[in-house]
Amino acid sequence: MGLRDRAAIAGVGYTPFSKDSGVSTLTLAIDAILAALDDAGLSVDDVDALATHRVGDSTPPWVVAPALGIPEVSWYLDQFGGGSVSHAVIGQAAMAVATGVARTVVCYRAINARSEFRMGGTGRGVAPVYDAQYQAPYGYFAPPQQFAMFTRAHMLKYGTTHEQLGSIAVGQRANAAKNPQALKRDPITIEDYLASRWIAEPLRLLDCCLETDGACAVVVTSAERARDLAAPPVLISGAVWGGGDSFLSGQGGDFTVSEAARIAPRLYAMAGVGPEDIDVAELYDCFTYSVLVQLEDYGFCAKGEGGPYAASGAIRPDGALPVNTHGGFLSEGYVHGINHVAEAVAQLRGTAGDRQVSGAEVALSTAQPGYVLAGTSALILRADR
Amino acid sequence: MSLGERPRPQVDRDSAPWWEAVRRHELLVQECVDCGTLRFPPRAICGRCRSRRSGWAPVRGTGRVASWIVNHQVFMRAFADEVPYAVLHVRLDEADDLFMYGDLAGADPADVTPGMPVQAVFTDIDDDLTLVRWRPR
Ligand SMILES: [Zn+2]
Repeated sequence: MGLRDRAAIAGVGYTPFSKDSGVSTLTLAIDAILAALDDAGLSVDDVDALATHRVGDSTPPWVVAPALGIPEVSWYLDQFGGGSVSHAVIGQAAMAVATGVARTVVCYRAINARSEFRMGGTGRGVAPVYDAQYQAPYGYFAPPQQFAMFTRAHMLKYGTTHEQLGSIAVGQRANAAKNPQALKRDPITIEDYLASRWIAEPLRLLDCCLETDGACAVVVTSAERARDLAAPPVLISGAVWGGGDSFLSGQGGDFTVSEAARIAPRLYAMAGVGPEDIDVAELYDCFTYSVLVQLEDYGFCAKGEGGPYAASGAIRPDGALPVNTHGGFLSEGYVHGINHVAEAVAQLRGTAGDRQVSGAEVALSTAQPGYVLAGTSALILRADR
Repeated sequence: MSLGERPRPQVDRDSAPWWEAVRRHELLVQECVDCGTLRFPPRAICGRCRSRRSGWAPVRGTGRVASWIVNHQVFMRAFADEVPYAVLHVRLDEADDLFMYGDLAGADPADVTPGMPVQAVFTDIDDDLTLVRWRPR
């Protein structure tokens, strides 16, 4: 059935997360790739493909490969895009492996997102993205602004509240307290959230993820081969991406529905599971609202009920659907999506330590749901047991 | 700091006629000759019926606030003296799924309300650029 369970994640690796790595994105990439290979019990000589994504902010595969001395690259992917394509990179690696085009792909994302390249400006120009000419002259070009616009639309249509958004930030910080590599581990309260300064109303500072320097990498190979390697394989059961949207015309005019709603049916069909089968979800959390809307659009609650659902405790570690168990981008760090995949792998291996979700067998990990560059991507991962 | 220091639109070959009309203080959208669908921003084909035939249709410049933000963070130095400022997502009165962005003219960000009726106004920034902004009506 298509791509289901044909490829697996055999290793994950991180650099430390920081506000100033002091090194190049090439060095970050190398460190994360070597760590992921070590985790898989592989060496650089086993690698024949590299895949990444970037928006002019990182080092491409065709620079990383010779730096590492990879003898021959049989396939590479250098995809344009930010968080929305983060999971598409791994999906394409799974396709390359499933078709025999590549044998061992290392997917990586390496960014100095605080010390060198801050999303949304603060020094640099506006990114050359479509529709920017109709927005940037008004001071509208940064992701927090774009998410704030549609957070407000959701509040207007469904009565979503600041306290509901805040419950996501507070809950994820509590998760990060159990994650040794998280950047922010001190607990916060809803009062702290409500007192944090405005960035772009209706979003506050504590609605926003952490601009982070760091890299993360995952090794993708065939399911058969992964079973012979050092770490327990995690199967890629579903991998989909798609979308294409406009906030100007021709889309029906309801922007409270994200691109996740469009890809979710295909994702569940490929993996042969439904929302009720997901044991743990790592939902792209560039902002709190991103989590809230995906709870709806991946089918965990009814449309418009994301706020009450999040605030009910359902997404806490002891709830019906533990979400962002590592603290997410809001509290662990922001490596544009791939650290969600790495956390899902840890949960499915049963190696997540104090934050382990008991008996986790199926995980959802998702990308930016289409409010910045339109389109999104997601994976359903499964323990191989 | 003045409006003239803001980032300038990167006009492309599809959008040039639209910006030239704004320069003349005319607000246009494209209208499909075959199915009548209004579209913005400008492009060569109708996404509904795939017709390549379109004309420029004037719109009244009236709409309602579908959503808005009040921006506080200085993401770009050109806006340092303008914060806090509002950016509106305006639903044009001509169609339910036809929107434009713009900033708020002649009102305080705190006065914006859901569905607030607004009117396009044209601000000449310099000899080459005019921007469409929105004021309450
Ligand atoms: Zn048409």
